Amino acid sequence: MLTITIDGEECEAEAGQNLLSICLARGIDLPYFCWHPAMGSVGACRQCAVIEHKDEQDQQGQLVMSCMTAIRDGGRYSVDAHAAREFRGGIIENLMTNHPHDCPVCEEGGECHLQDMTEMTGHTVRRYRGPKRTHRNQYLGPFINHEMNRCIACYRCTRYYRDYAGGSDLEALGRNNQVYFGRHEDGRLLNGFSGNLVEVCPTGVFTDKTFSRHYVRKWDQQMAPSICEHCGVGCNTAPAARQPGRPGDPWLRRVTNLYNRDINGYFLCDRGRFGYEYANSPARLSQVLERDNVDVIGSSAGEGVLSHREIPPGEGVEAFARHLEDQGPGKHLLLGIGSPRSSLENNFALRTLAGAEHFYAGLGATDLQLLRLVDTIQRDDRIRSATTPEIEQADAILILGEDIDNTAPRVALAVRQAALNHRRQRAAELKIPDWQDAAVRQLPAPPVPIIFVGWEIPPLADCCTNQMIGTPEILVSFAEAVLATIRKGSGDKDILPAGTEASQDSDIGEVATETAQALAAAKRPLVIAGCGARQPGLLRAAGLIATALAEKKGNAVNTYLACPEVNSLGLVQLLASGDMHLERLQGIVTEARQKGTAVTLVVLENDLSRRLERSQARNLLAEADTVIALDHLPNDTTRRAHLVFPTAATPECQGSVVNSTGRVQRHYGVYEGIGFIQEGWRWLADALSASNQHSDSADQIRSWQHCDDVIRTLAETLPVFSKLPAVSVTVPEGFLVARQSHRASGRTAIGSARHVAELPPPEDTDAPLSYSMEGIHDPAASTLQAMIRAPGWTSNQSIHQFLHGINGPRIGRPEPVTLQRTTAPLPHWQSVELHGSRHQPGENKDAKGLLAIPLYRLIGSGELSNSAEGIASVMTEAFAKIHPADAAALDINQGDEIQLSLGETSLQLQSQLDFEIAPGVIGLPCGLPKFGDIAALLPSQARIIRVIRYGQKMEGDDC
Amino acid sequence: MLTNPLTKNIGAEDVATDLQTYRDSDGYGGWLRALKMSPDELTQLVQKAGLRGRGGAGFNTGLKWSFVPTDRRAHPVRYLVCNADEMEPGTFKDRLLMERDPHLLLEGIAIAAHAIGAATAYIFIRGEYHLATQRLQRAIDEVTESGLIAGETTSLDQPLQIYLHCSSGNYICGEETALLNALEGKRAIPRAKPPYPQVSGLWGRPTVVNNVETLCNLPHLLLHGAEWYRKLGRGEDSGTKLFGASGKVNNPGLWELPMGTPFREVIEHHAGGLRDGLTLRGFLPGGGSTDFLGPQHLDLPMDYDTVRKAGSRLGTGTITVLDEATCPIGLVLNLSRFFARESCGWCTPCRDGLPWVVEILQRLENGEGTTNDIELLREHTARMGPGNTFCALAPGAAEPIQSALKLFEQDFIDHIQGGGCPFH
Repeated sequence: MLTITIDGEECEAEAGQNLLSICLARGIDLPYFCWHPAMGSVGACRQCAVIEHKDEQDQQGQLVMSCMTAIRDGGRYSVDAHAAREFRGGIIENLMTNHPHDCPVCEEGGECHLQDMTEMTGHTVRRYRGPKRTHRNQYLGPFINHEMNRCIACYRCTRYYRDYAGGSDLEALGRNNQVYFGRHEDGRLLNGFSGNLVEVCPTGVFTDKTFSRHYVRKWDQQMAPSICEHCGVGCNTAPAARQPGRPGDPWLRRVTNLYNRDINGYFLCDRGRFGYEYANSPARLSQVLERDNVDVIGSSAGEGVLSHREIPPGEGVEAFARHLEDQGPGKHLLLGIGSPRSSLENNFALRTLAGAEHFYAGLGATDLQLLRLVDTIQRDDRIRSATTPEIEQADAILILGEDIDNTAPRVALAVRQAALNHRRQRAAELKIPDWQDAAVRQLPAPPVPIIFVGWEIPPLADCCTNQMIGTPEILVSFAEAVLATIRKGSGDKDILPAGTEASQDSDIGEVATETAQALAAAKRPLVIAGCGARQPGLLRAAGLIATALAEKKGNAVNTYLACPEVNSLGLVQLLASGDMHLERLQGIVTEARQKGTAVTLVVLENDLSRRLERSQARNLLAEADTVIALDHLPNDTTRRAHLVFPTAATPECQGSVVNSTGRVQRHYGVYEGIGFIQEGWRWLADALSASNQHSDSADQIRSWQHCDDVIRTLAETLPVFSKLPAVSVTVPEGFLVARQSHRASGRTAIGSARHVAELPPPEDTDAPLSYSMEGIHDPAASTLQAMIRAPGWTSNQSIHQFLHGINGPRIGRPEPVTLQRTTAPLPHWQSVELHGSRHQPGENKDAKGLLAIPLYRLIGSGELSNSAEGIASVMTEAFAKIHPADAAALDINQGDEIQLSLGETSLQLQSQLDFEIAPGVIGLPCGLPKFGDIAALLPSQARIIRVIRYGQKMEGDDC
Repeated sequence: MLTNPLTKNIGAEDVATDLQTYRDSDGYGGWLRALKMSPDELTQLVQKAGLRGRGGAGFNTGLKWSFVPTDRRAHPVRYLVCNADEMEPGTFKDRLLMERDPHLLLEGIAIAAHAIGAATAYIFIRGEYHLATQRLQRAIDEVTESGLIAGETTSLDQPLQIYLHCSSGNYICGEETALLNALEGKRAIPRAKPPYPQVSGLWGRPTVVNNVETLCNLPHLLLHGAEWYRKLGRGEDSGTKLFGASGKVNNPGLWELPMGTPFREVIEHHAGGLRDGLTLRGFLPGGGSTDFLGPQHLDLPMDYDTVRKAGSRLGTGTITVLDEATCPIGLVLNLSRFFARESCGWCTPCRDGLPWVVEILQRLENGEGTTNDIELLREHTARMGPGNTFCALAPGAAEPIQSALKLFEQDFIDHIQGGGCPFH
């Protein structure tokens, strides 16, 4: 620790830091623009100038940029000195010469860093008399507005987009005061993290275009902490809502980042930021629906689709209740189907309602197997799940088969930062501080080994040192070779496992040896795998590699095992046994029906057509006597249900979810859903209360009033969740945290078209949050406060005021809660278990056959986000990706329509010839609308039935 | 005794000295002598000789080299970069050397590369210097073919490679770190110092950037020794330098003269004094980014420190003369326009300050000035002072303005009170 003096006040500060960070962490109002806590200093804007005095005698001192000044022991600095204030005022005045006076109509207004900093310096009178420079703006796609006239040229956007996020289609163009930040031509920003520009830009150049459609000022928003529901990473978000004042306006207005050091830091992916619009979809279920007795005749809706009518919720609940009665063989059998995208509360309620033995995962056998493998591997205490800062510090990374850019995007962004670690190390040797961003980036250093193994070149390719692109078989052989090398602990190539086709490939052997050596030599190696690849063998290999490394190193090794959905890992913990998958359920239903038992399926927030092959899912739904579905949006399953209950989407309710690392997090309702929307568990509890069922569990459910009641029961029932109640954040007795700011306007006016009276705000029965402006506002006083602002700091940049040091954890953050899993060493998986029995080498000899494997896309593979307006407008068209060599052998040209069969299913997709995919496979997109069930079928052998030339139609084709 | 080592091969005819002619007049003799010395000895010799950077800053060249890490194992790759991006307003000295005696530069490059252990050298040349480019390239080809600076004869592990890179035209590329960025194919914006290029320069490797004229001093310095070199100067500084004069003088041009030659001698003797009977009001001693000096400074010797003490900089040593019939504000406006246009756009005082200065000066010229404008200009020049901006461009741009405000304040007042430019 060093002792420095700032404006006469002595303080201790960590050596090696820059003065700006120290001032900000101490709560000093020192304006800045180009510095960013995640991106370091470049010294461009000159806004953070202070005076540095040589010693006590030096009265005048020298002007220095605090962001570029490494503190020295005994250093004397003055933020308040007249010369420094005057200089900073002059800088703002310079910046404002070209900045338009459009704050009243600018969407940044009210949360604008430039506004804040201008106020802070006290610049009020404009002396510049010349004309302002103007620019033409660009179309940057459906997510981001571009208003270049507002630009103050802080260079944060390109530094973030190019240097931090690896994008290439945004750059600084031109020079002098004409410098222009844009694309080479109009078009959508292609980087999957482009949305962060909205928060990175200190003013209104880049703003959220989806938000523009239903804009409200920050001070008029109501906010609560939430968890992004679009993948398994569990990024923290701050969705913002406001009561619709205009017809057509939705409740939910936008999503912004909510800092969580261990997970998302300052950044979200575009699916997470712009996917929120699904909650506003006009298709949202908001009423209880009952099957109409009118048959759908000649409907084009598809087989088994029922027509529905709205019924009062009470009637619906009573109808539901009738299915809970007379349980028993020969009478009624109620089976619950849970969901990995539904909260622990909802899933547990269904489990309690149906009984653990009748609660199914709502996943196909492979999906469940993969999740259980993740769970098994994480239970080995030689393995740790890495937090984002830990990923960023890794010095060797092996990515086994998982396309994390598209399945766990925030993790990929963290991996990208790790690529700089050797440069940081080199900088330290040269005594260059790590926050000297430009200097660190240009240092020559051997690249951090990042080895990607998969079947398609990933977006992360530019920072991978090695890539092994091949069929799953080759990948598993590669992983095996890596494992064998680590275990033997030498670089000897002869120890590759014999008998596999791939091991004879010297190229694989070489890369595998290099990989093993890099991992073994690393201080902080990291192994990444996941469920997306749908290869149990690769997951097992990841576990074995990590444990082998741990044995060698004598300490636990970091892994990141990506789970596909927001609560995948939580769902797995709720299952009575490992085989509660849909294939098994199907057998149970058939058996029960044969015995004359009436079967009721309760499907919780799950579209079975994405879990099973579509016809299989439809058969299952058709076979049950009654299907009761609960969900946010209509889908293949709700359309076939006899009763449909509208459930609250993530930003509309409180719930707990478990992310891919086993961390339990809670989201809070930001607003109450429209119509009769409520949490899934509340519908289940209502139905049970209305029934005459009596049992211990039924009484338990009847006693549930609040979310915490469900959580308490869950914690008492399953030891793995014993710490769950600690997720609840408490506030001082008698206080609530306000969702609205103290200056929320229009409180009495916004509903006046409907009521003259000022109605009391709704009450939150679950969380200590108010739906009004009354309560705790200070984000330092409660982590439940999601509206990050401080006096003089209206934008999200103010977050540093609520952290323990720059980039530290949030003040008042409770200890992270993780699953309390019993530890168990990994089984001794053998080679055959890595390779599996489904795809033997040499099986793929059929000239017309290729192995169909899953491909994911950030925009397109998310079930809920696909219903978001912005995302839907740029949805990837369905495609079949083939290596040109395979295409040539199969006589397929670019753009041809290929009809192919995967087992029973036949699909027609447009071919995309691409050298980026491995030969021998055909990549099919997962999760796109109409092709939602493809993932469930993969991997499997695809047979090409016929090829329809681009622009032609097959004879007799009637489409 | 040789008194014009820089220009001894330059005759009246506009041709470049070829390799044979150059060798015939002791060419590459300095290089052969350098080869017999260790890099350390070489660096010390140059440091002792007192050769100061001719790009304008006047930093001791040997001292600059000595900051390159000596640990060759830790830093195996080093670069020498020749700054030939001569874009300073009123400056045309490097051009003469490159067009007329290209081998002198190449020999200097070879010596400097040997001193810092660089196996690769780049000449970053101003894009508009077509003739110099052509002649330099021919000279590079000649000397490469001759094997003089390549292969076994050098102390390096590998032959010295010299590459010629034509700039796309940007004043900021004269700033050594912006030059390095441009050479790497990046935006030409300066880099933060530290780290200095000697430690982390081109592609993050130890790099020395030297001006053309600086490098051209090396061959004869090596050949005749440090003592001889020191004595070339008339005053404090060593060696000779190309001094020039432009403006309304009878004989504008460029002359090789000893360091320490008084301004008066250049302006009155070599340039033949002011034409048409005009009298001198002031002059920019070394390019557009130096402070004005007045007639009272004419007898100052042109040494780096002397000129600094007088409140300006020797800069490139090419004098721009201001006469009584020329509007100083118009001159400053013209320069400021150039600097505002050439600002790289990286830091605020320069990017947004200079266009504002132009706006004010233009208003003064148009007769739209106000009494606050003088104060505002002073504020701007203070804000663009050294250390306040990211690089030296804005402080340089501020120098003619701030000195004009001192020396010609009455002209500013006249512009404001008289409703426009009295010279029009």
